[in-house]
Amino acid sequence: MIQMFSVSKTYPNQITVFSDLDLEVTTGEFVFIEGRSGSGKSTLIRILFGAEKPTSGEVIVNRIRLTQPGFKKVYQLRKMMGIISPDFKLLRDRNVGENLAFALEVTGHPLKEIKEKVSEILGKIGLAEREKDSILSLSAGEQQRVTIARALVKDPSLILADEPTSILDDEMTARVMEIFTEFHQRGTTIVVATQDNQLIQHHPHHRVISLSGGKAGEAESNEEVKSIECSLS
Amino acid sequence: MLSFLGYAMRRALRNMKGNLFPNLTTIAIIGISLLIFSSFSLVAFNLTSLLRIWEEKFEVIAYLKRGVSLSEVESILAQIRKLDGVETVNYISPFDAMAFMEERLGAQKKLLEGIQPAVLPPSIEIRLKKDYWGQTKIGEVISYLKQVSQIEEIQYGQEWIETFSVLVHLVRLTQWILGGLLLAAIIFIVSNTLQLTIASRKEEIEAMQMMGAHPAFIQIPFYMEGLIQGLLGAGMAIGLLFLLYQVIVATITPLLKGWIAGIPILFLPWETITWVLLGGVILSLFGSFVASMRFLRYSR
Repeated sequence: MIQMFSVSKTYPNQITVFSDLDLEVTTGEFVFIEGRSGSGKSTLIRILFGAEKPTSGEVIVNRIRLTQPGFKKVYQLRKMMGIISPDFKLLRDRNVGENLAFALEVTGHPLKEIKEKVSEILGKIGLAEREKDSILSLSAGEQQRVTIARALVKDPSLILADEPTSILDDEMTARVMEIFTEFHQRGTTIVVATQDNQLIQHHPHHRVISLSGGKAGEAESNEEVKSIECSLS
Repeated sequence: MLSFLGYAMRRALRNMKGNLFPNLTTIAIIGISLLIFSSFSLVAFNLTSLLRIWEEKFEVIAYLKRGVSLSEVESILAQIRKLDGVETVNYISPFDAMAFMEERLGAQKKLLEGIQPAVLPPSIEIRLKKDYWGQTKIGEVISYLKQVSQIEEIQYGQEWIETFSVLVHLVRLTQWILGGLLLAAIIFIVSNTLQLTIASRKEEIEAMQMMGAHPAFIQIPFYMEGLIQGLLGAGMAIGLLFLLYQVIVATITPLLKGWIAGIPILFLPWETITWVLLGGVILSLFGSFVASMRFLRYSR
């Protein structure tokens, strides 16, 4: 599903986030990208959904070569993705249900399907009663859940989640991870970028890629994640 | 496809409602710009049709001295008919001239009461073939007429028509120069208004891009907004011009009745109206295209 070869990213202010990064995520895999704040997790996710270009290297997602010169079909890539970004990007002038319906409308889903899908995902994420409520009336945690629901309502084949549970309580984090697992069991590829090692430890069966010092390393076990954490601190 | 166009139209109207003042200002500016342009078109159109009528009526009038006998007139007419380029020759007796004046004055013909036809000079109306309307050719006919001793005065409007023709060309030139500037202004204004709309819908556009909406899905509502602005602006221009035209016809025509001698003031023909409407739409669409190219692309 995802292939990255010798990918480097240096910002115009000459800060190199990572260099010569190689990464492969197979279809249907559930992967955590772990690293401290500033390690490049968000940049990596943004490169994967085409919001940023790498400085060098090759990036292929779902057989689409993002680094192809003149590549313009970012929308094709994003249509099959569910993107969860830390800045939510919710529409404040619409209610919860409308925000979710909007994601389906703009990607050409038939109207009769939209209502059903919206109700289903809101029920799963525990916001069924808030469907008609304004986004502004929700707490930050609830807004994050709406963002997650919006990404999932499209039934994507790849979920890219950047700190999806950063402001959720333990109970809600567990619920979100259950939903992710449900999608994963249906064959969805999931990439979760997080600095929450507890979250990773609660899901020991998933592969962990650790970003540190501009390099990526594979953590074989949760113990190794702990040791990486120790060495960084 | 139809449901998408309906959706795009609803979004365009919602965008316009959300930015009502900038949109109304844009429509007004498009309207005023096209009104100025189409006003020049109307003036040029009427001047051209007036020129055409005058050209059709173009003739040389030779006034005869009083007392010329009919046999002399017959001989002069025969000589003129032989001249190269002469199409028709008509003798207008003082009685014919009086009848003509009465007809032209209509209800005011009482003014002629007490005037004897004999005071009007007999004349000869000479119509030349169209190819002979040039200064040189007319000159040849005039120089012959000047040699005829029974002719007292010769009148012809050729110089006047040429001057008027230059005036028409000047109006047309001004129309296109001014039009060009106004049209560039329309593109600039529409593009800037749409930038405001785009800025106010930034959140929505970013969300759409994040979810992978097709670029056309994002752009078409903005094109529709431009299209509506152009159509309303152009419609407003034509509507205002028609009102202005009605006012002119109602107020100025009676004052000019004698001068323009029953020549009607015309409104723009349907083809020109269609071009103005189409022009407004095309320019506004171009303006929205410029704005969307700059601000609605998936940026990386």
